[in-house]
Amino acid sequence: MKNLLRELRATKKWSQGDLADELGVSRQTINAIETEKYDPSLPLAFKIARLFKQPIEEIFKAEI
Amino acid sequence: MTSVLYIGSVNKPNPVNTPDFCSPFSGHYSFKKDIKLNAWFVVAAVFYLVSMMLAKRHPEWSVTIRATFALVPLLPGLLYVRSLMRFVRGMDELQRRIQLEAWLFATIGTILIGMAISTLNSSGVHLERVENGLGMGQAFIIAFVLWIVGTAVANRRYK
Repeated sequence: MKNLLRELRATKKWSQGDLADELGVSRQTINAIETEKYDPSLPLAFKIARLFKQPIEEIFKAEI
Repeated sequence: MTSVLYIGSVNKPNPVNTPDFCSPFSGHYSFKKDIKLNAWFVVAAVFYLVSMMLAKRHPEWSVTIRATFALVPLLPGLLYVRSLMRFVRGMDELQRRIQLEAWLFATIGTILIGMAISTLNSSGVHLERVENGLGMGQAFIIAFVLWIVGTAVANRRYK
C-alpha cells in the first residue's frame, strides 16, 4: 500500500522519532510504514489521519 | 486542572516496549523495565534450584512435602508469564508482529528439531546427549536460540 506519511511528516518538520512519540508507536514502525514494508492497523491509520487532519484514503492508497 | 493532566497524558504517551529495553548492549537498555520483566524469572530460577537441592538432601521427607517444594517454583513462574504478557501488551503493533513471528519460528523449529532427533533415534542413529529425545533444558536452549534468530530475521524484514 502506498502512503504519503513521509511527505506529511516533512510538512510538520518532524523526525520519525517525533511522529512515533505523537502516535505512541516505535520509530521502527514509522520507518516500516514510510518504506511501505508494513501496513498499519486500522486504528493506527485513523490516528495518523486524525493527526494530519486528512481522510485516510488521502494518506493511504491501495496498489491495484 | 484534570483536563490539563488528561491532555498532557494523551499527548505524551508512555514509550512503547521493545525488546531493546532488556538487552544491555542495545543502547536503549532500561534497568527498570528489565527488572519489571525478568524479576519473577530470577525468583522462579532460585526457587527451582533451592527445591532441587532440598529434594536431593532430604529424600526422607514425605511425598506431600517433596511435592510442595517441587511445585512452589510454578508460582513465580506463572507470575513471570504474567509480566511477559504485560510487556508484550505494552509493545506497539509492529513489535507484537515481530515477536509473534519470532515465537512461531522458535516453537515450530524446536518441535521439528525434537521430531528429527526422535526419528533418528528410532531409526537406529543414536546422537550423543539426546539418545532419549530432547530434554526440557535442551528444548529451552534451542527455543531461545531460535527466538533470537527469528527476532533478527523479522527485524531485518521491517527495517
